[in-house]
Amino acid sequence: MLRILTAATRRDTSTLFLKRFMSSTSNNNNVGAADFPVQASITSKLMEALEPSALRVINESHMHNVPKNSETHFKVVVVSSKFDDVKALIKRHRIVNSILSEEIATEGPVHALSIVAKTPAQWKEMELTGNGKVVIDKSPNCRGGDGSLPSK
Amino acid sequence: MMSLNMLSRSVTRTALLSSKRLGPVSFFSNNDSHSDFAPQRKTISDDDEALKMIHEHVQTNHIMLYMKGNPSMPMCGFSATVVKILKDQGVDFSSVNVLDYPSIREGVKKYSEWPTIPQLYVGGEFIGGCDIITEMHKTGELADLLKPEKSDDKKE
Repeated sequence: MLRILTAATRRDTSTLFLKRFMSSTSNNNNVGAADFPVQASITSKLMEALEPSALRVINESHMHNVPKNSETHFKVVVVSSKFDDVKALIKRHRIVNSILSEEIATEGPVHALSIVAKTPAQWKEMELTGNGKVVIDKSPNCRGGDGSLPSK
Repeated sequence: MMSLNMLSRSVTRTALLSSKRLGPVSFFSNNDSHSDFAPQRKTISDDDEALKMIHEHVQTNHIMLYMKGNPSMPMCGFSATVVKILKDQGVDFSSVNVLDYPSIREGVKKYSEWPTIPQLYVGGEFIGGCDIITEMHKTGELADLLKPEKSDDKKE
């Protein structure tokens, strides 16, 4: 069964707890795909291609100098047995990049993509180390951007 | 040995960045050494030119970082993180501010088949962006990769 990783609070996107959910929605606001189409597209593509045992798609756009409700900066945390035979991090990231190639193309909507790609065994080890919860580092703070995106 | 070693690091970097002769590559060193042997670059005129230039950059600069901004003033949190890691590793490295060179910004994505900036190359090979460099730094893999560079004699 797919496990959706959620944050304890809306703001605390750096701490993820393991929970089982019936819904496949992965954002904290419980808003539908129509409101956040890029997030929905990323989620469905990763689910289809990687059949993950755990998945979290985090919209980090609010951390950057872009308008409210933008979908320009994302972090994906994906745990999949399809990575068992892919030891090199760069190869795992390339797999995710190719799944999301439309979104992250130069002309696509996503300006930055942070990836955490683990096997189930690696994730379990992280859980054990963290006493049942896995802490994922937040992405670095924005430095103002390069002016290519509309600002807040 | 050139007496230019006496120049401060900030002046050296400023001189490099403003020098048309030296083009887009700037050299960062923790040791106030001067890269008067930095390769000369032509003005970038088209996409093929950019790819050739990138190939030359990564072949002739052992540690090469394509970033937004420059090491003293990164313009992106991800680029800043990689710069900090390289400084923590104690290595000298070369960098290009892709914000100043749109054809290099796009060219480097084609060259490495990697969609985002920053991009770190070591020994001519693309190593990864911020996430990968951060992970490698934590595991010690980056230190192992950069080890030969740390033990080299300082450039003069």
